Amino acid sequence: MADVQDTIRERAAALLSSGEVSAVIGWGAGRFDDVRFPLVVKRAEDAGKLVFDASCVQMTAKRLLEHTGEGKVALVARGCESRAVNRFIADHQLTRDQVYVIGVPCPGMVDPATGETLKRCAECQVRNPVVHDELVGDPVPEPKPYRFAEVDRVEAMSREERRAFFDEMYGKCIRCYACRNACPCCTCRECFVEQDKVGWQGKAFNVNEARYYGMIRAFHTGDRCIECGECERACPMGLPLMVIMHQQVRDIDKLFGPYEGGGLTDSGPDPLRTYKTDDIEEFM
Amino acid sequence: MSRIGVFVCHCGTNIAGTVDVEAVADAARQMPNVAYAGTNKYMCSAQGQDYIVDIIKEHNLDRVVIASCSPRMHERLFRKVLAEKTDLNPYLLEVANIREQCSWVHKDKQIGTPKAINLVAMAVAKADCDTQLFTHEIPVTKRALIIGGGIAGIQAALDIADAGFPVTIVERKTTIGGKMPMLDKTFPTLDCSACISTPKMSECEAHPLIEIKTLSEVEKVEGYIGNFDVTIREKAKYIDYDKCTGCGMCETKCPQKKIPSEFNQGMSTRTAVYKPFPQAVPSKPTIDADHCRMLTEGKCGVCAKVCPTGAIDYQDVDRVTTERYGAIVLATGYELIDWTRLYGEYGGGRYADVISGLQFERLVNASGPTEGHILRPSDGTEPKTMVIVKCVGSRDPHKGVPYCSRACCMYGAKHAHQFMDKVPGGKCFVFYMDVRTPGKNYDEFYMNTLHEGARYIRGRISKITRRSDGKLVCLGEDTLSGNVVEVDADMVVLETAMVPPEGAKKLAQTVNTQLGPEGFFTEAHPKLRPVETNTGGLYLAGTAQGPKDIPDTVAQAGAAAAKVIGLLCKQSIESNPMVAHVDDSKCSGCGACVDICPYSAVTLVEKTLRENSRKVTRTVAQVNEGLCQGCGACTVACRPGASDLLGFNDEGIMREVEAYATR
Repeated sequence: MADVQDTIRERAAALLSSGEVSAVIGWGAGRFDDVRFPLVVKRAEDAGKLVFDASCVQMTAKRLLEHTGEGKVALVARGCESRAVNRFIADHQLTRDQVYVIGVPCPGMVDPATGETLKRCAECQVRNPVVHDELVGDPVPEPKPYRFAEVDRVEAMSREERRAFFDEMYGKCIRCYACRNACPCCTCRECFVEQDKVGWQGKAFNVNEARYYGMIRAFHTGDRCIECGECERACPMGLPLMVIMHQQVRDIDKLFGPYEGGGLTDSGPDPLRTYKTDDIEEFM
Repeated sequence: MSRIGVFVCHCGTNIAGTVDVEAVADAARQMPNVAYAGTNKYMCSAQGQDYIVDIIKEHNLDRVVIASCSPRMHERLFRKVLAEKTDLNPYLLEVANIREQCSWVHKDKQIGTPKAINLVAMAVAKADCDTQLFTHEIPVTKRALIIGGGIAGIQAALDIADAGFPVTIVERKTTIGGKMPMLDKTFPTLDCSACISTPKMSECEAHPLIEIKTLSEVEKVEGYIGNFDVTIREKAKYIDYDKCTGCGMCETKCPQKKIPSEFNQGMSTRTAVYKPFPQAVPSKPTIDADHCRMLTEGKCGVCAKVCPTGAIDYQDVDRVTTERYGAIVLATGYELIDWTRLYGEYGGGRYADVISGLQFERLVNASGPTEGHILRPSDGTEPKTMVIVKCVGSRDPHKGVPYCSRACCMYGAKHAHQFMDKVPGGKCFVFYMDVRTPGKNYDEFYMNTLHEGARYIRGRISKITRRSDGKLVCLGEDTLSGNVVEVDADMVVLETAMVPPEGAKKLAQTVNTQLGPEGFFTEAHPKLRPVETNTGGLYLAGTAQGPKDIPDTVAQAGAAAAKVIGLLCKQSIESNPMVAHVDDSKCSGCGACVDICPYSAVTLVEKTLRENSRKVTRTVAQVNEGLCQGCGACTVACRPGASDLLGFNDEGIMREVEAYATR
């Protein structure tokens, strides 16, 4: 990975000094050896601050949206970031010419807490960037691990067990909205939870409202989720949020498939927001 | 604080029989914001309307809830009352449906009354959120487009053109006329079908306001009621109609003579340059590119040599034009079900003497392949025994379609009559499931056929086999006597089901309207709006909407024409204000609404907006109010709720749910 890191620094410096891009988004060193932060580099001489190693656990793609309107911005993108770029384009939050994608095939990151492969990387379906302007490093194999084990477990539960599972899950939720802020599908200007609806969605802690938030967010992102797993990684309470997202991907595949997840191309439309005259309508 | 008036209708005993209307009014008086509640025997009557108007003035009401029948029934009427006789905006009205959705579905007041109270409570809660809505004027292009040139399209075109509006008929075949000129005589009067339809065809051709585009199809429809931009592809005919005089020389000399004639249902042949029948309109031939040797192999050119006016043009290409129309009539007609594919037990098309009803029409027609003599297609002899099988495909959910095709009982009786009339001593057996003859002089016609000696046997034919002597052995059951029946027939006529024509589904997508489960176009309301669709400015005529016979088709075409004329008479029309509306400040321009809109009414546009006292240019969604039908698909697809339906805003619906849930 050291070679890759050197190439990223070289390319970032070249792109910035030539003026082709106004900023490069990647990772920078934190206070500790195993902590990395998203870093936005705007001067060629700062390119040396970019880091790429097994500790780059954060998804940086959403930073792109903070720099639209500043000319072309380069993004160091792994499989997950590249799918996020497609997501933004499909959601009309970005145009392809606003971003320069430095693709990096990703072998998977390490969870600093356990020293093992990060959960979202262990479930990763797309390690090589699906879109890029240039590729740094050689493509890595795509093992496509089975990602529905947790879904299978919840599905096998009895009604009561499942109820208890979700009660426990949302009982812990503190509604900090870290999952939403991390999510590349969440690009609304005003989230539904921030709109006042007396009696429907308040500010106070309440398991029902937490569940309501979780379920509505799941519906809002269900057919667009790129399965990056960043929501689950960002959750300070450790909620198994991806079980809901994976379940939806599988259901959509069954009902409207074949469907492998969002962000694989930059042209929606996405299954649940598409009008087709031959849609299933057995309830009509 | 709003001042809501609640008006509960008895509807005679329709509502009052199962709902205690006085109790509903009493309960309404206790509901928040309700300033008045009362009842009336018939709220829609002139006296009931006056009552509403008086109370609004007397109690200074600013919102109205009428608890009565379905809003589909009288909402428009009550809106009109508010608009014309009070100062209230007509959209500050809610109708609580306590008839169709309450009194009619319940049997006793114990259940009906509390449910009616709940429905009123919901309407009261929503009324409080209602806002004033205003219509605006949409200009109307005073031209109509008719898709399909059968008798329905012809009738509609003539009626509209006679009212003074230009009409274009788009027909995908080489002539207008549809199926009617193929028929021999029409029930119940037995007048000659061609003699009454071909004059109408030539009337269309001669009419100064009617333009006929044959071999043409509608490719794209954009726009909305009053202003449809329609792209029409007129396929190459390879003949310059400005030069062609229709002399027919090319037809007589064309060496390709073995092509099965569609008009004669494959029972005769035609040439590659052809006119399907002598009275075709336009009365000029076209070249069938699939069979012309010049166009397929590049050699021949006989027609070009013999044409006295030099009208043949082998280089002719398709012409695509886009024009604007105010209204569109769908008169796309029907096809007969392909029985050969479905009914192997009737030979599946292997026996030449098992024919369809339409083939029989050609056989018995004086202009047909046998000049009106009923002769067996296999050997040209006159059949002495004929079997007619009704409901082939119709009322057969397993193999065919579940519905009744409506016309077959009558033309089946007509076929029996014609056979016995033309073949002295001929025997005719009609196998039927039921005999359905509702219509003026219809049953009399059927009874007459019975008296002439047609044997009606209630039951289906289970199998037809051909014996070595050429006889068709029809095995069936007489369900009235319970006996097995075997008839040795010389010819069998299958009265097959009407099905939607090929391409109906694609056309429905092109014009943005819905098909029912059987594939026929759906009318806006089966009783009250039978010739309209749910898409404004789009009307239905004839069998495009469902199986029907010629009298019904012509009547419906006239009705559709009346609706079109009513629209085109206006200088402008009022828009429906209950459409989607986008709150720019919440819209992130994600385009979910654009993808989900069934009417292509939403587009993304760049807008300059003021945000935090700064000017910013952003992409946001915009609704075309002419195209929007107010279905609400975008409002549920919109995650932050930027898209809202005026008249059905999220707030109002939430309040309705709350009102119900908290009672």
